Amino acid sequence: MSADRRQFLIGAVATAAGGMALGFLPESAAAADGAAPELTPWLIIEPDDTVILRLPAPEFGNGAMTQQAAAIVEELACDWSKVRPEFASATRDYTAFSVYSVVPQAAAFFGGRSTFLMRVMGLQKVGATARQRLVTAAAAEWGVPVVEVTAANSVLTHAPSGRTLRYGEVAAKAAALGPVAVPAIKPPSAWTQLGKTAPGKLNNPQIVDGSLTYGMDVRVPGMVYAALLQSPVHGGRLKRYDAAKVKAMPGVLAVVTVDPDEARGVAMMSNAPYGYALTAPRAAVAVIAEHFWQAKTAMEALPVEWEDGHGARWASTQQLYDAAVAALDHDQDARVERAAGDVADIHKAAKVVEQTYLTPWCDQAPLEPLNGTALVTADKVEVWHPAQNSQQAFWVASDESGMPPERVVFHQTYVGGAFGRRLESDDVRMVVAIAKRFPGRPVHVIWTREEMMRQGKYRPMVAAKLTAALDEKTGLPSAVVARQAARGHYPRFADTAYFMGPIPNVRVDARELANVHVTPGPYRGPGYNSYGFIQETFIDECAHAAGADPLDYRLRLLATWPNAGWAKALKEAATQAGWGKKLPKGVGQGLAICGWGLNGTAKAGTCVAVVATVEVTPKGALTVRQLDAAFDCGRVMNHDAVANLMEGGLIFGLNMALNEEMTVKDGRMVEGNFDTYPVLRMAQAPKINVHFGGLSGADRYAEMGEPPVAPVGPAVGNAIFRATGKRLRRTPFLKQDLSWA
Amino acid sequence: MGLKLRINGQAHEVEADPATPLLWVLRDHLGMTGTKFGCGAAQCGACTVHVDGVATRSCLLPAQAVQGMEITTIEGLSPDGRHPLQTAWVELNVPQCGYCQAGMIMAAAALLKAKPKPTDADISAGVDNLCRCGTYPRIRAAIHRAAGQAKPA
Ligand code: FES
Ligand code: FES
Repeated sequence: MSADRRQFLIGAVATAAGGMALGFLPESAAAADGAAPELTPWLIIEPDDTVILRLPAPEFGNGAMTQQAAAIVEELACDWSKVRPEFASATRDYTAFSVYSVVPQAAAFFGGRSTFLMRVMGLQKVGATARQRLVTAAAAEWGVPVVEVTAANSVLTHAPSGRTLRYGEVAAKAAALGPVAVPAIKPPSAWTQLGKTAPGKLNNPQIVDGSLTYGMDVRVPGMVYAALLQSPVHGGRLKRYDAAKVKAMPGVLAVVTVDPDEARGVAMMSNAPYGYALTAPRAAVAVIAEHFWQAKTAMEALPVEWEDGHGARWASTQQLYDAAVAALDHDQDARVERAAGDVADIHKAAKVVEQTYLTPWCDQAPLEPLNGTALVTADKVEVWHPAQNSQQAFWVASDESGMPPERVVFHQTYVGGAFGRRLESDDVRMVVAIAKRFPGRPVHVIWTREEMMRQGKYRPMVAAKLTAALDEKTGLPSAVVARQAARGHYPRFADTAYFMGPIPNVRVDARELANVHVTPGPYRGPGYNSYGFIQETFIDECAHAAGADPLDYRLRLLATWPNAGWAKALKEAATQAGWGKKLPKGVGQGLAICGWGLNGTAKAGTCVAVVATVEVTPKGALTVRQLDAAFDCGRVMNHDAVANLMEGGLIFGLNMALNEEMTVKDGRMVEGNFDTYPVLRMAQAPKINVHFGGLSGADRYAEMGEPPVAPVGPAVGNAIFRATGKRLRRTPFLKQDLSWA
Repeated sequence: MGLKLRINGQAHEVEADPATPLLWVLRDHLGMTGTKFGCGAAQCGACTVHVDGVATRSCLLPAQAVQGMEITTIEGLSPDGRHPLQTAWVELNVPQCGYCQAGMIMAAAALLKAKPKPTDADISAGVDNLCRCGTYPRIRAAIHRAAGQAKPA
């Protein structure tokens, strides 16, 4: 109660003294018109019952926005069709003392997750608070006790007298009330909508008529455009350029540079959730023009020379792969990530399986190219940006502009895909770095697809060597040593079920490839997306060496694993796919299971089991016919949203395994567009069956975005092995010879 | 110079280099941002519009080449956003990030004009735009629904 009182008071003060006094733009048109006052900082109800919700998590395809709204509406009891979502302001969150991030999970609050129970409950409280204000106002209007007023479907009812009022009719009075007592929120068992209905995305109508505003669609009066070119070898520096050659081209306004070595920053403590180290700017030159096509044309005509730096020594991708594999045999710099039991005698076992695996650099390639808009003036920076985490972008904009955060006005836009690429906010830094060289006019910076793809923050290239000693009786691994080498390591290999108990003797270690210059970054399911392939291919090899059925082998291996959802998902996927049926040569089924979000414990996160059915012609043409997937995320809050994320995640993971590889030539990234970095189309998308029979009903609503990505590749690779006898130990599969006759 | 374009039934005169691709004339000069930039290389289809009824990628198409032709963008597909494809897209909750979907709908609309009852093979051949979020199964189902065909098993 006291906390809620504080929350309300802070919100009220913030509107009166914080936001407006500092001259910030109001968050919504309604507030600007003065049509309806805020009921709380989170919401406005207009006279026609429209409910404007300010939601902190951005929407980049995972449905987070709709899910947040659903949690509020569960308590607000308004008509769903009246909901109009907006993004909460990261600026206001800062100036108004965390008015939005008071809801639990604050650190990641402006990020994407939406179904964690603590967070859902926080949002329910937002809805309950607003409802209580409406109920209290109606009771006062009628002169009846508050307890006699009920709220449902945007209508307040006093049953004893039969009177009703619409929410919009009392909203203004409710907004003027002092603090109200917040009623208890419903526990999950009493939910009437969450988990029971599956509302489609709130922004679907604007997507299908083209009116939704992505970062790319921001239009601000006086706006100009910029095209940029960054050092083609990551880590290089600008040597010289000749602006005079393009100054007279149509529309060109300026040629500006970005120097990674200049001093930047604000002398204050930052709350950037991911810090600044990952957002380091690259050396760049940019052309600013009245229109983007003019900027791009002039950028291409601009003579530029670069100081390549040490990355240029890598003549080919193969040299990098060889260096990574060679590093696996050096232990002096390895850090141990997990150790249990004793693995010293692993090579002395009667049956030893040892193999080396490799996964390449991959680009997230969201369909909306990187872009953003910033207006830098003497005392303010205003940013319109498709961020994956608004809070991070807000702080990076402050750091790059040198403007203290209260002078950073941040507008979140819709996001045309993210997959990790827009998380760290190096893009916002580049936008502001360019815009601050052209102060006074909003600058919309757009990466071409080529510029974006070659200046990526890639899923790291990972080399791994795994060794297993198989138990003579069971055939199961009694000891495993797993070695990895990568630059930009995301420690998920240690965080896999087999290494967390089922295999008694384990050593997992990792080496950092310090000499590699290619910049790494998060890619849907960081770490997991590589190690899932490596681990599930290796276990399949162990099963084969033991002469065991891959399903039975995994079930026996997981017999002591305390999270029963894994076995349930495995059995469900296998049963639905008709596992074990006789198939002709050239056709095969393969199996894999991976779990995301364990974070060191068994009963957490989401596991996904996939059975892939493939066909390979004798000449090596591969068709993935069907994917059957079952999963356990505990419980499901929006059935259709989960199905959609599973379907999309499986296709995303399939593409990663079949097609994706960023290569290097003389230090430069080679692939630049979808002709050389292919993405599956409709014709190649397999039949996908998502099965809900693996759900355990455990007490969590775990994430669904990352989990499907990892198991697809190994399931397909294991299927190819069963169809052809060819074992694939690296991706992408379609660059390898699959012929078998 | 003055480019003369007919877009969504309206005449426009635009001051732009005639070599400017139609995509950028639509987006930058006319403020019609429903047509998206995804690759700039005629690879992804996010920029699909209709030129005289034919689905066309606009990112490499010089605007001067389509003077005098009838151009339709997502903004002009239907007066109220309720083309059968748009309705089916919402009903089946097709989009994830949504960035590809305007181009997908334009490609599908041209397909349905040519083949009102498309087969799966027709859809695969006629709608080969790129969706990074992987919404293909739903796009396929939504096209069938808009065509008045039951969702294939
Ligand atoms: S933007 Fe035109 S096809 Fe991709
Ligand atoms: S829905 Fe995101 S690219 Fe298609």
